[in-house]
Amino acid sequence: MSRGHEDYEENVGAYLLGALPELEAEVFEKHLENCASCRRELDQLRVASEALPRAVEPVAPPPELKESLMATVWAEAGEQREEAEKRRRTAPRFLERLPRLSPAFAAAAAVCVLAIGVGLGIGVANLGGSGSKTVAALVDHTRAPSGSASLDVPSGGGKGALLTVQGLPDPGAGKVYEVWVQRDGTLQPAGALFSVGSGGSGSAGIPGSLKGADAVAVTAERDGGTLKPTQMPVLTVKLS
Amino acid sequence: MPLKQTKDLTRLADEELMHVVQGGDPRAFEMLYDRHGGAAFSLAYRMVGTRAVAEDIVQEAFLSIWRSKVRYERARGSVRTWVLGIVHHRTIDALRRNLVHERRRASAEGLEERHEAPELTDVEAVRREEAREVRAALSTLPGEQSRVIELAYYGGFTHTQIAQMLGEPVGTIKGRMRLGLEKMRKEMTGAVA
Repeated sequence: MSRGHEDYEENVGAYLLGALPELEAEVFEKHLENCASCRRELDQLRVASEALPRAVEPVAPPPELKESLMATVWAEAGEQREEAEKRRRTAPRFLERLPRLSPAFAAAAAVCVLAIGVGLGIGVANLGGSGSKTVAALVDHTRAPSGSASLDVPSGGGKGALLTVQGLPDPGAGKVYEVWVQRDGTLQPAGALFSVGSGGSGSAGIPGSLKGADAVAVTAERDGGTLKPTQMPVLTVKLS
Repeated sequence: MPLKQTKDLTRLADEELMHVVQGGDPRAFEMLYDRHGGAAFSLAYRMVGTRAVAEDIVQEAFLSIWRSKVRYERARGSVRTWVLGIVHHRTIDALRRNLVHERRRASAEGLEERHEAPELTDVEAVRREEAREVRAALSTLPGEQSRVIELAYYGGFTHTQIAQMLGEPVGTIKGRMRLGLEKMRKEMTGAVA
């Protein structure tokens, strides 16, 4: 083992404790990329370093901290809704895009969605206790063979609908799932992006109201989202 | 598995909750704060010693999560560990940037200002037991090892600063950190030394 490695190895503890100055930590991280021995020791000692915050005596944060934090969060969520609304006004009408797709692709997609609709049915359940409505999604099983999804809509189509998916494939490197709201044939960004876990499960809150919406749809888009959908939805939730 | 309203979010595991947070749901974010904000504030306060600075750090850390500047990946461990890691890094940044060390040393604010969280739920009881176990593992270390670990992790000092404080070579300090963590690990996992 080289002398250089021994020097780096001595840094494992200091690195885990945050005691390496920034530049030294970056150099050590570079070394870690090519040193299985240091990575192994790092993983072993991490058990101890990650336990250290748990040894701290609990101190209650002041309620004002949460109030201030949540005021910012709700304000920013509102701004995102406004931004989504602006995008809606400039977004192209989705149905007008369909003829531009190759006829074979559009026909195949239509048949596929119809078949899925027949296979799954459209489930609507009124949940008396929560005052919300749960609507099952139509999933394109050619792209998500084991996919399923549902949308929980607060009573009156109010704000805060929650989309839950399972069995969706990874959207691909550098991509996320983007949620769209369809009104009058136009797909508008819902201001919600989500990724899926190992089992293909994930959720997304829709910040704006769904009043008057015809459907909610999901497509895979580049990370950060897009202003208009670039592909056919992998799932659609019909609301009207 | 349809999810309902806020009451249903409470049933989500942290990892699932993070998906909802990253989808931009303020209710899910509030739940994340409710679960981990106390531990985050306790850690920041333990490190900086002043409530106002600790509040700023925790607010910045949680807003960075909300704004998705940092994204959770399951491979990085539990959500709690991930959140506390963010808070720890931000606190170290604050300590090294703003001379909080000096303010902390000069401040009379300390134990007398500490207020333990009032409720002792089952989860809280488990966490206090975990805290007792970690403190017990720390207490088994030779004094020179626990001292460098505490100065580094809770104090935010670099190895060179600690070496200067204790009048020891940097290599000795690094060695004590590594040996101390290894001994703690064995103590906590029951590994044979």
